[in-house]
Amino acid sequence: MQIKYALYLSILLGALLLTNISCNNDDPDVDETTGYISFTFTHTVDGLALQKDIMKYVNAAGNPYEINQVMYFISDVTLHKSDGTKKLISDWTDNHYVDIDIPSTLTWDVYDDIAAGAYDSITFIFGFTAEKNKSFMFVNPPEVNMMWPDILGGGYHYMMINGSWKDNENVIKSYAFHMGIGQLYKSNAYDKVDSIYAFVQNYFPVSLPASAFTIEKDKTRNIELIMNIESWFKTPHIYDHNYWGGAIMQIQPAMQMAKENGFDVFEIGVIR
Amino acid sequence: MLMSGLKAQDLADTISLGAVEIRDSLIIRAPFVTTQVTKAILQAAPTRDVGDYLRSIPNVGGIRKGGGAIDPVVRGFKFSQLNVVMDGGIKIENGCPNRMDPVSAHVEVEELAKINVVKGPFLLNYGPSMGGVIDLQTEVPRPYAEFEIHGNAMFGYESNWEGAKEHFSLYGGNSKIYFIANGGYRKYGDYSSGGSGSESVTYKTSFRKANFGAKVGYAITSKQSILLSYSEVHGRDVMFPALTMDEKSDDTRLMAMDYSVKNLPGILKTLDVKVYRTNVAHLMDNSNREMWKTKQMVADVDAINTGGKAILGMKIKNHNLSAGLDYENIYKDGVRTMTMLMMGTTSTKKFNLWNKALIRNAGLFAGYNTVIKTVALDAAIRVDYNNADSEDTLVLIKNGVEYFNKTASQFVNVSANLGVTHYFADNFSVSLALARGTRSPNMLERYIKLLSVGYDNYDYLGNPQLKPETNNEVDLTFKYSNPKLGNMYVNGFYSYVQDYISAEMLPPSVIKPSTLGAPGVKQYVNVDRANFTGFEIGYTSPNTYKLGLIVVAAMTYARIPEVTKYIITSGQVTGDTLLKNDALPEIPPFETTISVNYRLLKGKLVPKISYRLVAAQNHVSEAFYEPETPGFSLLNFSIAYTITKNVNINAGANNIFDVSYYEHLNRKIVGSTEKLYEPGRTFFVTLNLSI
Repeated sequence: MQIKYALYLSILLGALLLTNISCNNDDPDVDETTGYISFTFTHTVDGLALQKDIMKYVNAAGNPYEINQVMYFISDVTLHKSDGTKKLISDWTDNHYVDIDIPSTLTWDVYDDIAAGAYDSITFIFGFTAEKNKSFMFVNPPEVNMMWPDILGGGYHYMMINGSWKDNENVIKSYAFHMGIGQLYKSNAYDKVDSIYAFVQNYFPVSLPASAFTIEKDKTRNIELIMNIESWFKTPHIYDHNYWGGAIMQIQPAMQMAKENGFDVFEIGVIR
Repeated sequence: MLMSGLKAQDLADTISLGAVEIRDSLIIRAPFVTTQVTKAILQAAPTRDVGDYLRSIPNVGGIRKGGGAIDPVVRGFKFSQLNVVMDGGIKIENGCPNRMDPVSAHVEVEELAKINVVKGPFLLNYGPSMGGVIDLQTEVPRPYAEFEIHGNAMFGYESNWEGAKEHFSLYGGNSKIYFIANGGYRKYGDYSSGGSGSESVTYKTSFRKANFGAKVGYAITSKQSILLSYSEVHGRDVMFPALTMDEKSDDTRLMAMDYSVKNLPGILKTLDVKVYRTNVAHLMDNSNREMWKTKQMVADVDAINTGGKAILGMKIKNHNLSAGLDYENIYKDGVRTMTMLMMGTTSTKKFNLWNKALIRNAGLFAGYNTVIKTVALDAAIRVDYNNADSEDTLVLIKNGVEYFNKTASQFVNVSANLGVTHYFADNFSVSLALARGTRSPNMLERYIKLLSVGYDNYDYLGNPQLKPETNNEVDLTFKYSNPKLGNMYVNGFYSYVQDYISAEMLPPSVIKPSTLGAPGVKQYVNVDRANFTGFEIGYTSPNTYKLGLIVVAAMTYARIPEVTKYIITSGQVTGDTLLKNDALPEIPPFETTISVNYRLLKGKLVPKISYRLVAAQNHVSEAFYEPETPGFSLLNFSIAYTITKNVNINAGANNIFDVSYYEHLNRKIVGSTEKLYEPGRTFFVTLNLSI
């Protein structure tokens, strides 16, 4: 009889053990439910919506200026969770082109399925990493129009902001505030392309403050990404159009300044 | 009793059919649908290229991308799903990845003696066949008892295009040596679409083509002969408004040697051996496009096909057998050069389209037919060994998925068919034919790298690990022939295609397009299955009456049980969804043609009027965002006059009412959503002289 009880007990314990083992196999942290994310891109100057083609702004250097065009790429957008896991947006595309004159580019409906849950922050690369920024990567407008000449490093512009400013003599001049791969010149004469001896990658990572959000099953979370354009011209450096002149794509110190100013250009707007 | 019955049936099977000109084409005795088009028919039609003419055969359509080089589609099967051969076995590998030069564009209509179209995988001795065979048989010289020499000349003109063509041939010989030499030239301008119903549009569709060639035969004995053939076809400035580039030049060289033994005693009756080599050098660019100023594309491709076949014909009592082998070696290499002229600088990059790609196919085949009382049996089998490789260095792997990596592949494919025809009376038969035809993926599907070669504007990427595609088909055919009532046939078919080769989008994070205007990249993939079903009917009145009537109608319905549709919003792919029972793209709609002719002056003067009615195509592919096509109707008129036995003239007008229309298979104009329309009213005249 005791043997019989012992056998029952053994079976019961065995069953409990198996149940426990099989329960342990189910990872409670794996959430297979997914939702979606989309981004809306807005552009402001001094806290107000951008008004282009009007000479109404003054930058930190005191240059009156207007903005005609804004075009740029962001890539490798990554969503971070507090537990250290992250989701790189790349199932369909790993970059997005924004052009204020092309409304369809001002929204990015991301293809990727995003695991439901709470996310702490968003990061991305402004422009492209050196590994990805290759010539002929785009062949169609509008992206192809961002081509960066091979002789200057190749690939594509990270950004073009085109407009005009009034110089100290009140003469209106055009500026092309462009960022891409920079060049180092032996002679410091920036137009002597045959004296280029090295290229400089000017892309930089952007980490967005206050970008915590949640993703719910089968729902789309829309996040507004704001570019504060005036920030390109201040903190930590005061960027002066009168000093750097109109075109900077062959002036690495100017692009370096823009790169360093870029850390606080972007912020999160409305999350809905 | 048996023999007399069969004789009667053989006569009854000579059913004249066709669409534009039906008088002489034949439905020969076979359990499946075969259409033969003779030289007389071809001469009477204002045909610019072979593909254009083929569209007049029931259930044969064509993909138009420019003025000529129309790519045939048979019952919805196209490209390599069709086995298009010359002279019973010469294969041509088209140079252009965009198929500016389908096989049918490498031979001129005037060179042809006959076209034989077999629908379905029933003819297995010309190479692997999956959707059908189109055999383009060029003129062959024959021996003469005494030395003779003859000549033919053809001059043709078409309005609308301001198109002129001429062709000359000289042929003759004696009982030992005989020959034919020919050459031609055609120059067509831009055509305008019809102006009735909408505004006439002139398309940039001009082209120039020249060809020449010669064949010399030698009768070794009364039973043995040898034939040497050489020809060249050259295209220049061939415009394709529905493609991203135009053909700058296309130089095709064809050479072949045939050895033939006939009328042997005993079981072995015939032996035919053929070896050939075809070479296509194709150059295309976008120099005639506005974009050339800033973005230049040039593609240069060499395609060489070398092969041969040997076939034995045998007869044991009333059992006819054939057996043979064939071999084909396809080599393809091509480079695309992209040049960007922007911001005062020039950037140039070269891409491989193909990198020394090779496909080799060796096949063994056998055929059998016999008649047992009132039942005729036809059977064939074919086994192919296919291997392919390329020197591509492209490696495309993401998240463990190999999109393009290992380039080598080998397959053994088995194809077979069986047909039974039951003669219920001297003038009525019912045929049931079952077939399985397998073909391996072609050069494009295996190795192409980033060019817009498909139905849409996407860049396509080959898939070296594609599996062969198999068509399992059943055909049921009824034939009726009566000397007083005429001839008619009704055919129904069903195809179940396994591992159907389609394409699916690849994420830009894997690969981005390289062709201007391409919104993304698609890669060839096998999908589980696709179904094709349809019918063809035809009727011709007896030749003995002065009044002739011909009616044909055909339709194909094709669908794919499951396919992924990518949701595109504002130019961005934002998701995907699985569609059930979606239509396959590029399937022509229902159409019917009624032709009436009247023989005057003992048949020397024959006016003919034909009315073609094409239904709207509303069964379109949702996954491919294929637009619907409205229906249309056309009226054509022609008159054939045999002035003397040496002179005849054909003249007429196509699209008399200048209807503005396009076929469902016509491609879209590059950079727009507008289809390339067909030509409007066109007058034509063709003069044929012979001595």
